[in-house]
Amino acid sequence: MPDVRRPGPEFGPRRSRLHGVPSALLAAALCASPSLAAAQTEPTAEPKPAASEGAPPLADPPPAPPPSEATKPADPPPTNDGQAQRRPGAGDVKAAATKEEAPKAAEAPKAEAPPPPETGFFLGTYGRVGAATDFRKRPGRDADIVARGSRLDESSYVEIDIQRQDYWKATGTTTRAVVTLGTSAPLFHYNADFSIRMAVRNLFLQANNIVTKGLSAWVGSRMYRGDDSYLLDFWPLDNLNTMGGGLRYDFGNGRTFVAWHAGLNQPNTGFFRQTVTRTPALNQVGATNVNILDRQKFITSLKASHIFKAGATGGVKAVFYGELHDIPSGQRETEVKGTYESLPADFGYVVGAQLGAFTGRDPSHVNLFIRYAGGAAAYGEFGTPFQLAPDRTSAGARELWITLSGNWETGPLGLMAAGYFRSFRDASSGLDSNDVDEGILLARPHFFLTEWGGIATEVSYQAQQRGVRYQPQAEPGQPIPAPTSDPVMGGLFRIGLVPFLNPAGKGSYSRPQLRLIYLLTHRDEGARSMYAKDDVFSLREWEHFFGVGVEWWFNAQTTYGG
Amino acid sequence: MNRARSSAVILGLVVSGSVSTGCMDFEDPPEVELKTNVVDWREEIIYQVLVDRFADGDRGNNFAIYPSAPGKWHGGDWKGLEERLDYLDELGVTTLWISPVVKNVYTDAGFDAYHGYWAQDLTQPAPQFGDLAALQSLVKAAHGRNIKVILDIVTNHMGQLFFYDINGNGQADDPLNQSVPGTPDVFKENEYDPTYDVRGVQAKTSLGESGLAPVIFAHDPASNHMPPFPEILQNPLAYNRKGRTYNFDDPDQLLRGDFPGGLKDVNTELCPIRDAMVDAYTRWIELTDIDGFRIDTVKHVENGFWRHFTQKVRRRLAAKGKNNFFMFGEAFDGRDQLVGSFTKNGNDAPPPAEELATDNQCVTDGQPLTADMLDSVFYFPQQFQVIRDVFRYRGPTSNIQKLWTDRAVNYGVTPAQGGAVNAAGQGVSPQKLLVNFLDNHDVPRFLFTGAGMYPEDPIFGTPLSLETRRKILHNALLFLFTEEGIPCVYYGTEQDFQGGNDPGNREDLWTSGYSMEAPTFQWIRRLSAIRKKYPAVNKGDLTILWASDRTGPSDPDANVFAFERTGGDAGDSYAIVVINANIEKEGSPEFGGQAMQVGAAPGTVLVDVLNEGGQTYTVTNDGRLSIKLPPSSGAVLVPESQR
Repeated sequence: MPDVRRPGPEFGPRRSRLHGVPSALLAAALCASPSLAAAQTEPTAEPKPAASEGAPPLADPPPAPPPSEATKPADPPPTNDGQAQRRPGAGDVKAAATKEEAPKAAEAPKAEAPPPPETGFFLGTYGRVGAATDFRKRPGRDADIVARGSRLDESSYVEIDIQRQDYWKATGTTTRAVVTLGTSAPLFHYNADFSIRMAVRNLFLQANNIVTKGLSAWVGSRMYRGDDSYLLDFWPLDNLNTMGGGLRYDFGNGRTFVAWHAGLNQPNTGFFRQTVTRTPALNQVGATNVNILDRQKFITSLKASHIFKAGATGGVKAVFYGELHDIPSGQRETEVKGTYESLPADFGYVVGAQLGAFTGRDPSHVNLFIRYAGGAAAYGEFGTPFQLAPDRTSAGARELWITLSGNWETGPLGLMAAGYFRSFRDASSGLDSNDVDEGILLARPHFFLTEWGGIATEVSYQAQQRGVRYQPQAEPGQPIPAPTSDPVMGGLFRIGLVPFLNPAGKGSYSRPQLRLIYLLTHRDEGARSMYAKDDVFSLREWEHFFGVGVEWWFNAQTTYGG
Repeated sequence: MNRARSSAVILGLVVSGSVSTGCMDFEDPPEVELKTNVVDWREEIIYQVLVDRFADGDRGNNFAIYPSAPGKWHGGDWKGLEERLDYLDELGVTTLWISPVVKNVYTDAGFDAYHGYWAQDLTQPAPQFGDLAALQSLVKAAHGRNIKVILDIVTNHMGQLFFYDINGNGQADDPLNQSVPGTPDVFKENEYDPTYDVRGVQAKTSLGESGLAPVIFAHDPASNHMPPFPEILQNPLAYNRKGRTYNFDDPDQLLRGDFPGGLKDVNTELCPIRDAMVDAYTRWIELTDIDGFRIDTVKHVENGFWRHFTQKVRRRLAAKGKNNFFMFGEAFDGRDQLVGSFTKNGNDAPPPAEELATDNQCVTDGQPLTADMLDSVFYFPQQFQVIRDVFRYRGPTSNIQKLWTDRAVNYGVTPAQGGAVNAAGQGVSPQKLLVNFLDNHDVPRFLFTGAGMYPEDPIFGTPLSLETRRKILHNALLFLFTEEGIPCVYYGTEQDFQGGNDPGNREDLWTSGYSMEAPTFQWIRRLSAIRKKYPAVNKGDLTILWASDRTGPSDPDANVFAFERTGGDAGDSYAIVVINANIEKEGSPEFGGQAMQVGAAPGTVLVDVLNEGGQTYTVTNDGRLSIKLPPSSGAVLVPESQR
């Protein structure tokens, strides 16, 4: 029996039978969006295929930062930067630290000058490993249809963070060289393939208190990010991967900073580079490569952050953020060898803000992020514009993210929650399958049975609509109905049970954490229609995910800047 | 003081460092002064070289060589050739015909362009053979030994540079399964080398034709399937685009079809193409002072092109000081009339006035074209009718007489204006300048195991011993070096190479060790010396003294042939050549008790300058000469007074 749908505006929400209430809530949010009537998605908004478990997602990242930047030292060290004179060890987890230490803003040392930062090598790591099944003896698989969903069913990933810190008496400057190597599933013990694909996620040096106290400078290749939404595993306001450098100035109050950065990247696609073979110069034999198209994306960002004190330890954080993206013009050879086409220059921008509050006593916090990107920036800093405007630029592309993320802990209870609404439109004028509106609401309550463990549940609903007309399925023997005027909309409801062990003690962010995971997912007809024929996700209404997982982070947070 | 000393030390280190690594200085580009290096082309002895197979003098240019495969690059180069000029000097040859020098498609369908006939860039040297300096050095060194150089060129076609996108899918399909309209048949075509179509290669699918197939140039630097140069050749209109010739008797296919193997037929009827060819190839002469062209596939190009090309080349070179530039063409054809037609200059066989007028539409320098074409041709009809039929198959020597008699009709008598001349600067008739050869890179070598067998059938015939075949070869070489025209020896002949058809006949000469003691090497050296010493043998007018239809075992003159040469530009120099091509019995130019009548005065004592012993013969009072020759032998008789 087909769904009963009421006529609605083009590309309006479509009601799901099972997920009616949450869907309606999301739909209301979607309709409230001023960009709703014309929208789209970044490339990662596709339903994740099975193979994606093995791919290292660019934005797939290391662990969540501490609940708030207020809990990070202004110069986040792997060292005891003026605090405890103790070298960090494996047991130094940030959650524990945040539990024990008040933010700098609240507890600045009074009279004694802090000792100089420790000199030496430091090691950090973030990692997560999971093994799961779907109860049908196939692998457990990430079931999200939205760009960012639960991280419980994410595939294995690890980073190794090597740092060298030196304090230079002559200038009072501290330098920190950072090398972060990352790799991801599949792992050798899974597929017997004795090889890995490894990425250099950081390779930079930062100098703190250079020229003047509070000024820091860095140059290199760097992940450059602010606060994340842990549950959804992404950075809602700023997440840049570039090669370049930046400056940051922390004001004397310890609660205000301004950071600027400029960098370059060149995603490995034909939009940025085209390499062709040519005969070597000077009548030499053989072939040589020539870059006909070789343009880089220039990205610069500016961020201003201030914390307003609230009570003895708490505060309210306000952040303003912006980016500019510039892609120069170029030319590339067409499929007709020896003929060329020009590619116009492209441009993009991001404006955004964050408003957050934290208690300072524990990791309880809440953050609201709003980010709007236009032009080339709508495709992300590593994105390659597609579905271009008639002038072959990304003018007109836009993306809006509104994200809410928070954590609350009291006694044996904890509640992590996050959600976002996202609207993306590519640069082409008409609606197509890349034009996406989507959102998710997710909550993970924790019940800490003892200091060493407890039980968590995870409940979420996510929905996505794409700029493609919905095609109702015909009953066998019945005429195929015409496509509706509604866009395809899919919804996915999930509930999970996660018993866990916390060797480092209780806390929502306490890591390492060893988990037993069970997730039950219901996928409505619209969600199933988003998968290709013969993909089991296109067939299954109910999905199981059962497995074990572990997640840790040790001294790994210090590599994130901004 | 100390500082000064330190400075001196540092300066010394810098200087000595520079000296030890050498300075990046080149000699000034050689001023190539064009000169006339040839007195009379009939005095020359040509030696044909496939550069890739002669000598490897520079391992630095051995790109992707595969010496064990006959169809691949083997490593020979111009430097190697230059280093072996002693060998050639010793052999006695005076002119090197080198394989094409221009940059080729390197490899195609698993075969390499070591031969040089798959041109891609007419402006650049083939890097496998060296650079321009190496070519210049070779020519200069050759000239230093009074060895001239002839350059092999191709104007008819280029390499396999593009494909016909018959089915419109933008890729070269091989094979392209084509349906035959109206039948259920499917045959396999190849978009690089589709069958000739008089309308031009048609685009088509199973639904039918859709007009001319687009031409798509390949882009593969590694194999050098790259757009051609000069740039005009990148225009599809520069080609006839009619597909592969399958019937050489069809004039349109002959002239406008692609050469089998996907070699793209250039539209030489276009004036800009004619000028481009003149410019591209004359430039090589201006860069090197090379002395002549051997021109490939002349029968596949219309006469109008040859009139334009040859005359413009001659004029341009003459203006720069180079005269007696020799151009001979290759028409791989046994039809004497066809082959000879390219030598009909002046009023020998003038083209219709309207045809010449059309040709002159391409003239922009104000100097109208005449009917002149080539100085000479590669004498293929003789290769078939004499070298094969008389020497290898032991046919009657009257074949030679008939062929040579036809020469007066089939070949031009008038020298081309500004073409080949004698020592006095007078033009030499093409009939006297034919380039004679026993074999070359396109036919099996003379000693190939079919040699001497009749019929040449490996099933029913028994191969003759190498010794016997070598005797036949030596006799044929005697004929080659003493007949009218210019002898041309294919490299390796002197080392008794026996390869069969292409690429079997393109052996590496270095496998011989460049032996100068090899019997055929010695034989050629002897013939060269005779040809050089006696003007009658290279420039004398020729009169046949004896030819016979008889080949029977009881015929005294079976397979015997004799001619005398004197007069003309040879003056009083006199020589008689007698050849017994029969491999089994003695032979004598006599029949019915009558010896051959000769031109020498009665009583003249003639001495054999070819064979050991210097046997003498006296002309009888009635002007006859008796001589008996062993099987497969010959004699060169000159007056004792001229010995």
